[in-house]
Amino acid sequence: MADTNPATGTTAVATPAPQKKRVNPFIAAFLPNQAISVTTFRAIIFVQVVIAVAIWIASPFELLPKPGDVIKAFGDLWNHQGLAEELLSSFMVVVKALLITVVISLLLSYLTVMPFFRSLAQAVSKMRYLSLVGFTFPLTVMGLQGDQQKTYLMVFGMTVFFVTSMASVVASIPKESFDHARTLRMKEWRVVWEVVIIGTADQAFEVMRQNAAIGWLMITMVEGIYRSGGGVGVMLLNQQKYLRMDAIYAVQITILIVALLQDYVIGVIRRLLCPYADLTLERQGA
Amino acid sequence: MSASAYYEIGDCLLKAENVNLNLGGKTILRDVNLEINDIKRPGLTQGQVVALLGPSGMGKTRLFRILAGLDDPDSGQVYVGCPPMPVQRGQVGVVAQNYPLFKHRTVLGNLVIAGKQAGTNAADSKEKADKILHDFGLSEHAKKYPAQLSGGQRQRVAIAQQFMCSEHFLLMDEPFSGLDLNAIERVIEMITEIAASEEQKTFIIVTHDIAAAMEVADTLWVLGRDRDVNDQPIPGARIQKSYNLIDLGLAWRKGVTNEPEFIQVMKEIREIYPKL
Repeated sequence: MADTNPATGTTAVATPAPQKKRVNPFIAAFLPNQAISVTTFRAIIFVQVVIAVAIWIASPFELLPKPGDVIKAFGDLWNHQGLAEELLSSFMVVVKALLITVVISLLLSYLTVMPFFRSLAQAVSKMRYLSLVGFTFPLTVMGLQGDQQKTYLMVFGMTVFFVTSMASVVASIPKESFDHARTLRMKEWRVVWEVVIIGTADQAFEVMRQNAAIGWLMITMVEGIYRSGGGVGVMLLNQQKYLRMDAIYAVQITILIVALLQDYVIGVIRRLLCPYADLTLERQGA
Repeated sequence: MSASAYYEIGDCLLKAENVNLNLGGKTILRDVNLEINDIKRPGLTQGQVVALLGPSGMGKTRLFRILAGLDDPDSGQVYVGCPPMPVQRGQVGVVAQNYPLFKHRTVLGNLVIAGKQAGTNAADSKEKADKILHDFGLSEHAKKYPAQLSGGQRQRVAIAQQFMCSEHFLLMDEPFSGLDLNAIERVIEMITEIAASEEQKTFIIVTHDIAAAMEVADTLWVLGRDRDVNDQPIPGARIQKSYNLIDLGLAWRKGVTNEPEFIQVMKEIREIYPKL
């Protein structure tokens, strides 16, 4: 349809608005900043797993055990070498250490609203460059035993990272968020509760997820330091001593599965308690 | 010439006396004096809408924060109410440019907590919040989180939340910023409606949009610096000019933008802007 302006003689041609092209979901997977459906995402994961397993099976490397060997080794470890007990022992240490870490770290991070505690949080954060080995002797002198020593070493190792992340979350809250709460007649401690504690709960869960992963990374090292206490870390080191690659992979994959399940559970709790958390994200599903 | 509407001046609602502010050795505000009075129109309920105009970097936001009780001036005082009392945080509501809300609370939750902060119990806060949501046309969004609202809805919720707490006064920072013409008209209508809902409802709007300010306000304040004998700006801004749009016949009228007086005032403000 064309409209001619009699004054100027110009003609405006109304063209239909261009329709947004629907991109094939599998092509979209290779384009930047695309949101895809959960179904497509799952299909991609399935394809990637199939490819990874196929590469694994076809691998010519002698040191890489075949999936069948790993499954067989897993059965042996589970049925005859007490993998389940060792796994439970390690899991309990990780969970206990994580809970203690969460309490200490959140408290210290929230306390950074007071200038007095900022230097303390910064000092704790700087300790992430220290090695855990140097703390074993003091823990022994303190009279701590077995799992206690492992737990507190883990707490130290995770707290320094947790405080670093969470104190940064608190420090990055914009001034306008504080001012907004103040305009609603909130006293400063109420502002801290509403803006700093409740307002960053979703991010605290995210930091917790990262630190739970760090916990599983540390557990094998910590159990290696305290070998007498057992755990999957000791089991892993024992298998490594005899170069039993199939058993090493079996333990590693078992740790990975348990850690991923733990990560999933924390993610579910986060979604239940903080349903607002992902509403502004471009990629809400996959 | 448009006929001005009949009105009477009532009690003083908000007043700033000799407000001075220095930051980092630089004078930002100098002897700012202003006063907002209750405007009474026989047979009508009429609130007040004042627009604060001024070039960027002139101290509008600083003055805004002082009027809201968020910052203290170096000297001088802001008073609210009758009899006048020094302003306290929360007495003057603030809607910042990006309409801040508690992201972790639903729309209803945002309003209820504001009500509780004002001293109302939970049940009464909920009842009042439901009424305000209804009045603002937001009832269907009560259970949504702020991230699920459009910009316009978010702005209305932010205003509603402040009125749960501050009752009468609302400072709005750049409410027309980034909006298209239709959206600006809707915001003007919304402010006009809310202002007309209660005698003491008072909006103070900080904006760069001269035309929108003139459409919505009954009074314009222009913030700027004085000039010395060499025509150099003297540090520290204060109210340079005040326009009573009621007397000019430009307040409370629809379609006023085509009036010669409207165009004349707008032209005048544009001309003095570079000298502020």
